[in-house]
Amino acid sequence: MTARQMKLGLFLWATGHHIAAWRHPDAHVTAGIDIDHYIALARTAEAAKFDMVFCEDAAGLREANVNIASQTSRSIGFEPISLLSALAAQTERIGLVSTASTSYNEPYGLARMFASLDNLSGGRAGWNLVTSASPIEAANFGATGLRPHADRYARAREFATVITGLWHRKPAGHDGESFSVRDPLDIPPSPQGAPVMVQAGASNDGKDLAARTADVVFSAAQTFEEAKAFYDDLKGRLAAYGRQPDDVKIMPGVAPIVAATKGEAQAKYDALQELIPDDVGVALLSSYLSISDLWRYPIDGPLPELPESEGMKSRQALVIEQARRDGLSIRELARYFAGARGHWRIVGTAGEIADELQARFEGGAADGFNVMPSWFPGELDAFATLVVPELQRRGLFRKDYEGRTLREHLGLKRPV
Amino acid sequence: MHLAVSLDIAVTDSQDILDFGQISAFVRDLEAAGVDMVVISDAADAPSTSPFEATTLLAALATVTEKIGLVASASTLAHQPYNLARRFASLDIISHGRIGWNATLRQNPREAANFSRPEGFSDDDFRRRAEEFINIVRLLWVSWEHDALLFDKVSGRFHDPDKMHLIDFTGEFFSVRGPLNVARSPQGVPVLVMSGLSETELDFVSRRADAVLLDKREPDAKATSDEIKRRAHEAGRNPATMKVLAVADARPEFDGRKLKELCLSSGCDGIALNVEARTAALKDFIERLLPDLERQGFAKARSGKTLRDRLGLSEDRRP
Repeated sequence: MTARQMKLGLFLWATGHHIAAWRHPDAHVTAGIDIDHYIALARTAEAAKFDMVFCEDAAGLREANVNIASQTSRSIGFEPISLLSALAAQTERIGLVSTASTSYNEPYGLARMFASLDNLSGGRAGWNLVTSASPIEAANFGATGLRPHADRYARAREFATVITGLWHRKPAGHDGESFSVRDPLDIPPSPQGAPVMVQAGASNDGKDLAARTADVVFSAAQTFEEAKAFYDDLKGRLAAYGRQPDDVKIMPGVAPIVAATKGEAQAKYDALQELIPDDVGVALLSSYLSISDLWRYPIDGPLPELPESEGMKSRQALVIEQARRDGLSIRELARYFAGARGHWRIVGTAGEIADELQARFEGGAADGFNVMPSWFPGELDAFATLVVPELQRRGLFRKDYEGRTLREHLGLKRPV
Repeated sequence: MHLAVSLDIAVTDSQDILDFGQISAFVRDLEAAGVDMVVISDAADAPSTSPFEATTLLAALATVTEKIGLVASASTLAHQPYNLARRFASLDIISHGRIGWNATLRQNPREAANFSRPEGFSDDDFRRRAEEFINIVRLLWVSWEHDALLFDKVSGRFHDPDKMHLIDFTGEFFSVRGPLNVARSPQGVPVLVMSGLSETELDFVSRRADAVLLDKREPDAKATSDEIKRRAHEAGRNPATMKVLAVADARPEFDGRKLKELCLSSGCDGIALNVEARTAALKDFIERLLPDLERQGFAKARSGKTLRDRLGLSEDRRP
């Protein structure tokens, strides 16, 4: 019996996770139109034995203000199921997880897409279920406005029930509130039985849905205490659905900046921070706070009192909590947030980063991590060549794949 | 004479489901022989099984081929226009400009029942909805101008905001604000292939389609082909910038000479041959029929990198 080892996902995001990543002198600036860039990243991650690559998604622009949008690289990119299907043919072992929205898809169609990806990849597909929270997306799907949080989750729950029923070959036929499906799935059973189910919602509704249906949960937490509280809360909800704590792997996001010395790593981080235009930082912060007029407030003053969001409830709370805890001005908060969108950031040597990851992993606050390189390809290369070997040396991460499928990498049971 | 091969991967019995290795080997053989494009469809009218959904299969095929055009059927009932426009624009970038969308104008009777439309659509509603859908997709495909991306790290301008356009479409069935969140694709616009036409759609098809696949049961292919091109001309298009292909089944009794006669007598620009998704049928096609077709002047190596170039289509700059 080998010791428990951490799971690692590589969170792909075009030029990188830092909002100014594309401006880094060595960043691959044409990432959003270059499939070879993604093939190279996936192969790097596979050589480093990552469990999976992961793509987020939005069916629309991320920023309504065209002037702000044009100062970021976030308005164009590949549709992720197409991207991962291409990567399926160019990789052999690494898991391929794509986000897709329950708000703007139909379960029969999405069941086909992911079963097809699972067949193409020999059992390496995963689906990250999201309910879309952006009014920009809603306007591309005929909606006159964003639907309330509770409605989106009701639809998501029904969606999850229908799609897992299709994958698990349950008796055909569903006639529900949001969806109706007559036939069984017309794609033959895929190598994993069913693609791996991933979720990231951290609201009460989101955690309940995850406890019921997810194999993997991505989360965002700054401090050990936040991470531990989320971990215990979610694992505690599993029993109600007849599930064991190990049935769900919880993987918080982490945005590392690694270099040979702490000073060098800090200098790398500071240089990236210098590339963020203030209006871009404030706009990004505003979108996660679901507030449209943050720019009205003095940029060097404190964050104003805010109403509870109908968008991303949990992320809003996390940001507000951090602003109050660290006494940050709007500018400082925006800058900090632009680095990793509220995820945990570690700046240091490989040993220091491994120490931090080990502490959360062994302290019962994570089963692994979703790694968010600040810019591509450089920060992925640094993590793969500096941090991964350190984790392997400590026995915390695999030296080779144990199996073929994503379920096998993650140590998940095959669904019955 | 252009040659397309249409591979329907849906099988209505459980035997002989192809795997990705078999399909990609077949497509690479077609590519080596100079076939213009392969058309993948994956949904039969009757209950059936497909190993892959067509657009995901196309993405994987795009990375293991270099020249052949890759066309997938995708239904206007099974997708939302915004999602479908993104997918095909992405595929066009992944394939370096070799993608087409086969938009069938005929309803698949099984789809409404599986896509939360138990009441279905009348043929007329379906047609109007499909036309609206196709128009939206095309508007989204051109929502970024070719030179919109600046990549200027120093000034901090990633793109030119004046070269990205909302579409603000509100129609009978859909409303879509846009723009697409995928860059302008290498072909400008993926090739729009239409099939499953009836008399009612000829006007729409002659205005919109880059390539038309005539129904193999079409009683008079020549009359239909002539009519489509006449209407295209009336609508202000150069009829040479649209290709009409007669469709036939690749039967064991067919040879290259018969197919050449069929093509010439139909007045079409080429032939689209249906190949059954069975290993024996693939083998017969590659070993026997394809060399014969090459001898008859089909499937020549053509210059140009994109599918539009291969088919001799100009970029779609119509309003």
